[in-house]
Amino acid sequence: MTDLDYLKLSKPAKIGYDFLSFLKRIPMGIVRGVQKLFRSIWHIICLFGANVKDVIMTFVNGDWKTRISFLIMGFGNCARGQWLRGILFFLFQTVFNLYMFNFGMPYLAKFSTLGDIPTTKKGRVTVYGDNSFFILLYGILTIFFILAFIYTWRVNVRQNKLGQKYLKEGKRLQTGKEDLQSMADEQFHKTLLALPTLGIFTFTVLPIIFMILVAFTNFDYEHQPPSKLFTWVGWDNFHTLLSSGGANYGDTFRQVLFWTLVWAFFATFLNYFMGMLVAIMINKKGIRFKKVWRTILVMTIAIPQFVSLLYVSKMFAADGLINGTLMRWKWISEPIPFWTNAHWARFTVILINLWIGIPYLMLIATGILMNIPADLYESARMDGANAIQMYMKITLPYMLFVTGPYLLTSFIGNINNFNVIFLLTQGKPLSMELAGNAGYTDLLITWLYKMTVSDTNYKIAAVIGILVFIITVIINLVVYNLMPSVKNEEDFQ
Amino acid sequence: MKKFLSLVLALAMLLSVCAFANAEGFNGEIKVWVAEAVVDFTNQQVEAFKAAHPEYAGMTVTVQAVGEGDAASNMITDVEGGADIFGFAQDQLARLVAAGALEVVEEGNAAVVEAENDAGSVAAVKMGDVMYAYPMTSDNGYFLYYDKSVVTDPSDLDKILADCEKAGKSFYMEINSGWYQTAFFFGAGCSLTYDTDADGNLVAMNCDYASENGVKALKSMIKLAKSPAFVNGSSASNATNLGAIVDGTWDANAVKEMLGDNFAAAKLPVVDGYQLGGFGGFKMLGVKPQVDENKLAACDALAAFLTSGEVQLARYNAVQWGPSNLAAQQDETVKANEALAALAAQLAFTMPQGQYPGEYWSLATALGDDIIADKLDNASDEELLSTLTSFQTTAGTYVK
Amino acid sequence: MTTKKTSIPEVDIEIDQEKGVIREVKTEKYLRSKKNHEKHVNRSIYTILVIMSIIWLAPFVFLVLQSFRSYLTESGGMVDYVIPHHFSLDNYRYLFQDGMFFRWYGNTLIIALVCAVIQTCMVLSVSYALSRMRFRGRKLFMNVVLVLGMFPGFLTMIALYFLLKQLGLTQEGAIPGLILIYCASSGMGYYISKGFFDTIPKSLDESARIDGASRALVFWKIIMPMSKPIVIYTIMMAFMAPWGDYVFASYVALGRAESYNVAVGLYRWVNTNDYQGYFTRFCAGGVLVAIPITLLFMFLQKYYVEGVTGGAVKG
Repeated sequence: MTDLDYLKLSKPAKIGYDFLSFLKRIPMGIVRGVQKLFRSIWHIICLFGANVKDVIMTFVNGDWKTRISFLIMGFGNCARGQWLRGILFFLFQTVFNLYMFNFGMPYLAKFSTLGDIPTTKKGRVTVYGDNSFFILLYGILTIFFILAFIYTWRVNVRQNKLGQKYLKEGKRLQTGKEDLQSMADEQFHKTLLALPTLGIFTFTVLPIIFMILVAFTNFDYEHQPPSKLFTWVGWDNFHTLLSSGGANYGDTFRQVLFWTLVWAFFATFLNYFMGMLVAIMINKKGIRFKKVWRTILVMTIAIPQFVSLLYVSKMFAADGLINGTLMRWKWISEPIPFWTNAHWARFTVILINLWIGIPYLMLIATGILMNIPADLYESARMDGANAIQMYMKITLPYMLFVTGPYLLTSFIGNINNFNVIFLLTQGKPLSMELAGNAGYTDLLITWLYKMTVSDTNYKIAAVIGILVFIITVIINLVVYNLMPSVKNEEDFQ
Repeated sequence: MKKFLSLVLALAMLLSVCAFANAEGFNGEIKVWVAEAVVDFTNQQVEAFKAAHPEYAGMTVTVQAVGEGDAASNMITDVEGGADIFGFAQDQLARLVAAGALEVVEEGNAAVVEAENDAGSVAAVKMGDVMYAYPMTSDNGYFLYYDKSVVTDPSDLDKILADCEKAGKSFYMEINSGWYQTAFFFGAGCSLTYDTDADGNLVAMNCDYASENGVKALKSMIKLAKSPAFVNGSSASNATNLGAIVDGTWDANAVKEMLGDNFAAAKLPVVDGYQLGGFGGFKMLGVKPQVDENKLAACDALAAFLTSGEVQLARYNAVQWGPSNLAAQQDETVKANEALAALAAQLAFTMPQGQYPGEYWSLATALGDDIIADKLDNASDEELLSTLTSFQTTAGTYVK
Repeated sequence: MTTKKTSIPEVDIEIDQEKGVIREVKTEKYLRSKKNHEKHVNRSIYTILVIMSIIWLAPFVFLVLQSFRSYLTESGGMVDYVIPHHFSLDNYRYLFQDGMFFRWYGNTLIIALVCAVIQTCMVLSVSYALSRMRFRGRKLFMNVVLVLGMFPGFLTMIALYFLLKQLGLTQEGAIPGLILIYCASSGMGYYISKGFFDTIPKSLDESARIDGASRALVFWKIIMPMSKPIVIYTIMMAFMAPWGDYVFASYVALGRAESYNVAVGLYRWVNTNDYQGYFTRFCAGGVLVAIPITLLFMFLQKYYVEGVTGGAVKG
């Protein structure tokens, strides 16, 4: 359909067409995302092949300095006058060897079984055997260390190749002093990123890989190190969680997932539009004390959530303030089951989330509203548009365009919005129909928390974590691949 | 010959060192977790212990305030980093043993414990036939507190509810807790227990909720939930409108504060023709498995001391925790305590609480939540029976 | 767009003899009706705003009021009236003298201050490097961080706990341990700062480098002074976060009350059965925690808005 034909459609037909093309684009979005994934995997494989070839060629073409460097890292650098680099390489190799010999190999050796020496008793004294937890953790660390070593060795080989080449061409090699200088200049990014990357690796990458692997073990409270061992069980946990039939994990997972998505949707969009509305109201010409209204609302952001939410949750309890006051005014005869009835609980949670969220959205909306050029409104008014038309055709599209990415992040954030749910209801009310301690207001993330802390059922918690990740990735991929087209609509309008 | 002599000499030296080591006592650090209310008391008792046992005078005992529930979950999370001696309630026993957080009680001490404490508490610290902890209190049961000016006859639940409704007061009971819920089921004649082996693993479940008696109990609970005076809960300090509350001795002071002269306690009432029963609960001190023999001996001695008859009585005098020690229970001051008297009366109708898997508690909460949410209001007897059947089946799946 | 039909004649034809023009002028009636309409709209908006203000502020007013209800003379637990019968400072006295509240407050303050500094350094380093410099692996780094961010945070709690335990940073060492956890991965939150740096024209960098300055010099002497809003925003966010963290803090402290932060301490007062009648003390504690943060936020509000809109807009 050409643009002109599109313009000729009536309003409902336009909406219908827009919606259909949106739906059509979703599978395309997923397909494109998966295509990108495969392309990057193929890219990595090609890269690997090229590197292997390069290493072999370097050895074949290399002089004696290069060849010795294959065994003693840094030798080539030292022999060619680059002492700083050479010594650093050699130091790394020594540290690696020491680590592997003393620490790494023993743990890595037991990786496949995750430990087989159980805890025994000598008299009344306990003798602890293998610790499966540390075998897994240090096994992963060792694997990463080995990968880092291979990478550094590869860099070492490449340095030799380049060094040999440059010397042959008569170029001068960088001295140690120049290396240090470049750390503050061309290589400044390395200086800046070194510490953060180390931090991210040790405290994010390592634990995440650890937990992903835990999902394939039977690590729960009956298999708890140091007294007990746990071992690999393959896909068993996934089967448990995704199976169906009766009030078991599979069913519960689907219900909790459904509510998580519903909640995220309402939490994001309801807050968004209400916040925008409030911002527009305050921003309107003729409203005085703008700063006062904004400050009052902004104050509620500053109060730490755990204080306000804990207090509010007590307010809505069966014998709390709200019910007590309503009963005293004789508006109701028995307390409203805010937290004990599933539907009431879900409704109340969304309502209170509005209370939390509107000030944030109002701030953002105000900031953006101020940026909309005023003459757009002027010309619209001169053409005779009323307030609603101006909102639909100017304000709303502009806001959506500008905060599109923010909405996406907010949606994902609400899927993982632990604080609000946990502090208000702890996921309750529970029910016979939901397994694994899950409640009607539980999000996947609060269920995950309960699994970890109350049940110490780490293996199921890990599986839930992985599934949350997959869902997040899918949503992100889909929306990102639809975004360009959304943007086109805006320009178009 | 020379070789043989040197061998004998070496052996003799080794033996003497061992003997010496044993009499030496222990000079290291011991960490103790008890509830906040008894931290000061425990510190005093530790000093008394060190005075009575000079070989342990050199050790450092750190007492930290960690509530019983937190203590159990912290120990399960990290046994090595947890306390060496910790207080917990008996519902956590199985999980603690399964996680390797409890050391078997030393034989000599076990014999003493068995002889000196009441039967319920002794049964509560055993898994199979192995004793894993030292019993400390027998007051973790619940009974009825009520306002004398509001409730005229505390022996019948319907009358209590009517009195509360008339006076505009509330009747508090936490029916969505697997602990309080059993008052109805056990009272009606049902039972739900799990058998465990000595390692803390569940081996069998015995439950007959899915029966006529179970349906009777369920109907009573539904009737209770429908009363306008009913409020779900068991915490006295959150009870803003107290007419009557099913609660335990730990709240005695709070309830006394709220009701003043109108304070009264009694065993649980009768409902629909049967006496409400429930669980008898106990608190105990556990000792963590140790890698050092001397430290283990020290912990054993300290734990045994802290749960001995004299200390239990002193603890009662300090914080009103009902002792499990038979001699202490006969003391005049203990007998005069109203709340404890009501508990004692109720204990006759209770079952000592055995081991239940963590999932059972959530299952029971789920059932209670369904009742409170009015989901079972107009259910027929068959529907109630099927709810109970599915409850029973699910409870059975926790035995792996 | 079509003009709205009104029943009031909108325009009048006015003939200006002097200038010889014919003008359309809005009739007086039309102007007046418009003014009335506008007044009504404004009045309803005012009403809504007043109601909203009451709803939004009410819980905090109640919180403050209940913090004045003494736990010694009246009930410290939950009651169904809000205004205490006697105003007293008993709760605050308790917080300052007995109990460990002061200790917890101090712990949280230390954590917040140290984190504010370290996190700002980390985040700004990462955002600057990613925004200004092009190097091999830049895209890879950004994608990996994006993917890592999609994992739920609690997933790794148990692994982090034992990692810290190996380093000796739990229980007694809980404070440094918490600081380490908060700061180590803070580089992942670079989006907003990077967005801000992207708006600073690269020509500034170029001219400085032509004059011979190294990249490090450019970073310190030129870009940093220009980035006051984003620096303040980052410091603000880093400072405010540790006050509300209950989950990690309770995990890492493992029962050692001296190592708790304010969130854990207050949460236990309200939610564990060991602490009956601590509710009013919780309110008082909540007030003490809320005041400095609120003040900080109010004064630095401007930077928060700039940070969020500046970053959010760019995506």
